[in-house]
Amino acid sequence: MDFFDRFAIPNPSIAIYASMVAIGLTVVAIIAGLTYFKKWGYLWREWLTTVDHKRIGIMYLISALIMLFRGGVDAIMLRAQLAVPDNKLLDPQHYNEVFSTHGVIMVMFMAMPFIFAFMNYVVPLQIGARDVAFPRLNALSFWLFFFGAMLFNISFVIGGSPDAGWTSYFPLAGNDLSPHVGTNYYMMAIQISGIGSLMTGINMITTIFKMRAPGMTLMKMPMFTWSVLVTNLIIVTVFPVITVALAMGTMDRLFGTHFFATTNGGMDMLWANLFWVWGHPEVYILILPAFGLYSEIISTFSGRNLYGYKSMVASMVIISALSCMVWAHHFFTMGQGALANSFFSITTMMIAVPTGVKIFNWLFTLWKGKIRFTVPMLYSLGFIPLFVIGGVTGVMLAMSAADYQYHNTMFLVAHFHNTIIPGVVFAMLAGLTYYWPKMFGFMLNERIGKWAFWLLSIGFCLAFFPMYITGLDGQARRMYTYSEATGYGPLNMLSFVGAGVMAISFALIVYNVYYSVRYSPRNIGADPWDARSLEWATHTPVPEYNFAIEPHVASSEAFWDAKKKGHELFPGKVEKIHMPNSSGVPFIMSAIFFVFGFSMIFSLWIPAIISLIGIFACMAHRSFENDHGRYISVKEIEETETKLRGVN
Amino acid sequence: MKVDHTLPLEYSTKQNGMNIFGFWVFLAAEIMLFATLFTSYFTLEHRTGSGPSGAEIFEIAPVLIETFVLLTSSFTIGLGVHAMRIGRKKAMMTFFVITLLLGLVFLGFEIDEFITYIHEGATLQTSAFTAMLMTTLGTHGLHVTFGLFWGTAILLQVKKRGLTPETANKSFIFSLYWHFLDVVWIFIFSFIYLKGMM
Amino acid sequence: MSELFPRKQIMGFVFSLVLTAAALTVYFLHLSFAQGMAVLLITAFVQALLQLVVFMHAGETKDKWIIYGKVYFMIAMALITVFGTLLIFLWDM
Repeated sequence: MDFFDRFAIPNPSIAIYASMVAIGLTVVAIIAGLTYFKKWGYLWREWLTTVDHKRIGIMYLISALIMLFRGGVDAIMLRAQLAVPDNKLLDPQHYNEVFSTHGVIMVMFMAMPFIFAFMNYVVPLQIGARDVAFPRLNALSFWLFFFGAMLFNISFVIGGSPDAGWTSYFPLAGNDLSPHVGTNYYMMAIQISGIGSLMTGINMITTIFKMRAPGMTLMKMPMFTWSVLVTNLIIVTVFPVITVALAMGTMDRLFGTHFFATTNGGMDMLWANLFWVWGHPEVYILILPAFGLYSEIISTFSGRNLYGYKSMVASMVIISALSCMVWAHHFFTMGQGALANSFFSITTMMIAVPTGVKIFNWLFTLWKGKIRFTVPMLYSLGFIPLFVIGGVTGVMLAMSAADYQYHNTMFLVAHFHNTIIPGVVFAMLAGLTYYWPKMFGFMLNERIGKWAFWLLSIGFCLAFFPMYITGLDGQARRMYTYSEATGYGPLNMLSFVGAGVMAISFALIVYNVYYSVRYSPRNIGADPWDARSLEWATHTPVPEYNFAIEPHVASSEAFWDAKKKGHELFPGKVEKIHMPNSSGVPFIMSAIFFVFGFSMIFSLWIPAIISLIGIFACMAHRSFENDHGRYISVKEIEETETKLRGVN
Repeated sequence: MKVDHTLPLEYSTKQNGMNIFGFWVFLAAEIMLFATLFTSYFTLEHRTGSGPSGAEIFEIAPVLIETFVLLTSSFTIGLGVHAMRIGRKKAMMTFFVITLLLGLVFLGFEIDEFITYIHEGATLQTSAFTAMLMTTLGTHGLHVTFGLFWGTAILLQVKKRGLTPETANKSFIFSLYWHFLDVVWIFIFSFIYLKGMM
Repeated sequence: MSELFPRKQIMGFVFSLVLTAAALTVYFLHLSFAQGMAVLLITAFVQALLQLVVFMHAGETKDKWIIYGKVYFMIAMALITVFGTLLIFLWDM
């Protein structure tokens, strides 16, 4: 039985046993449901093997929403534990596991796929392309992300969750202080999904540089596409760094090397350094597409073109370069000298300048606009003041001398949630509402959506503003409890209430989806928001080839010009269209990656080697395969077009 | 597929152009991958614990041979691509075979070097320095190994299908990869070996 | 036969061997650390540029500037990472 002992949970509790049962039942239910409704074939043909960027985008979206739920439950558990002093709801080990998985899931498996969802769905439509540059690679990216996420999530019920924080600092994450396999999960799961992210980066950069519609020069690209381009430049720059760091961490844990150990010359601080060389740009990877979405939404609902297009682009490029020069501000207190700290302090503060430029540009876009207060617009308007608070506290933290006071307190926790929630989460919800009709052919209910927005904003302020105060008073982050004498009790209770309000708001969003599926009208046309860029120029639902005729573009708001100035968007006639074939290999290869990761985590060398060979076999198969894609005939296109015009 | 005959074969379709462009982006990412390895190497270079230092284990002769072999293979694959562009399939294949054989020789010397290190008591587990040295060299060595398999697969395809837009495209991309590995080796040669023995 | 050995390629190869020999001076001559590093930095980066331009044909299509821009951006970021880390761990700790 020794063999099976390794899979046991080191610190079991009722909650974990309950989740095991729940996960088991869900899996059985899904399998039974698919079999009963005979949907296995449909699932395989239409989704698991698809290379269509729109379907991949939707799968990213669904995964992100599920992970949002998982990370959200973690968050509620954390706040519940801290709600009253000396609470016994979670023991210290569980608290450590929950804040570690909360962080990793929210950053890697919620925010990343959420932005990938919009990148995949929107960018090819916005630039008038038929698909991304490498559709098969795109499917592989998604499945690697998906299986990485699944691998991370099963840690909860097999072998134990990582418990060294989402930063997983050594020596805490080393074998001596984290003996169970949790941190192996961290290393392998992020590695696998990180490879997927890197591929997406290569894919998107190539797509945007090489597949734009005729006439769309770089400075005539919609702002969201620009933000995606800059984001992917950062992805390609920094994901190799985390790849190396994770590989070194894995070797430390599995092969007995001493990279980050405290003996035999190892240097634990090197991990922190490499982690943040990736980790800081990573937060800009999340925020820049959010900025792009806000730009689209604010311009659409102000009825005006975006103010300061060129300065928007310039500021994003400057942010992307600066974001790779600031990483040491995450460890000002680690022991490096004043010179290094001053350098990183100054570069950090400099980022506030281009970000400020963007804020003013959005404000000037609103100026004298005919503003429509739709749900996406409300999120965008809520974002501006809340994000500014987060940004200003960020400048406080950037001052290295003062940082010695704030470091590792709840003040920091308040700061980064203050940028990530109004920055990224609001943008994702705004984007979700904005692009929902394009994706699914009906609108989300505005009334419920507005309730959700207000509850989320109020809940957010209630949950996180008190942390600024308790943090300045000295409440440390990542501590599972505090004594009553500290006086942190009431403010933490307030945070808990705020977290509850946010949970209600997310429940409302889920209800809104249900309500809108049932009651929303379906005849909304292709352009329900009266929007400005190319993605709204094609039909809803979007046919698989996106545009029957390649659009010709003369400005960054091509569709608006077509509507208002009579610009001819689709000159030419229908020709046969070349499309890529579906393929099951990305799915199979990623599944083998999952087996490989799992075997590595538990040091099962033989299955690890076999699955590694399997991975290379998939690559060899791809190399020797002769796949020239297929053509959609003119007749077929014309039939589809007539049918879709009939709907609208 | 639209084939544009005014361009070299490897660029002749739109997808081909994108493949080459995308591979350049990938190589840019590889620059960062090796930069991270160098960053870690420079940080851990003098942290030898109780193990040997670089000056104690490096030897100039095998390193010089490895450098010469790899530089030559970079030259021969350049000739291979040139032969491909003037439509000389047989010459191109010969140059590619020579390249791969040189790669194999390089790999042999590198493996021998690793065995020597281990005999001298410099293993993966000895110290942070030895681990980092072996990881950096090993990453490059694994790239070369992967290249040998990849190059062989491409050669088989060229042999079977001839010089088509697709095989030409693959061969050209492979040549980019191989040159890049040569560039990385130059940096390893300069900043690990020569700097360590200086 | 001679058309298989273009002048450009051969000159590139010879030059890369010369650069390697130049780098070897740091081993055979007794240079100071600063002088040695200067020699290595120059020979390594010129060698890299040589490969990029002569053998990799980086500048032959109209994507020339994007490719060069991308590679130079990445080299800049790589140098920032290397020297930033050295600043933190070696020069100022």
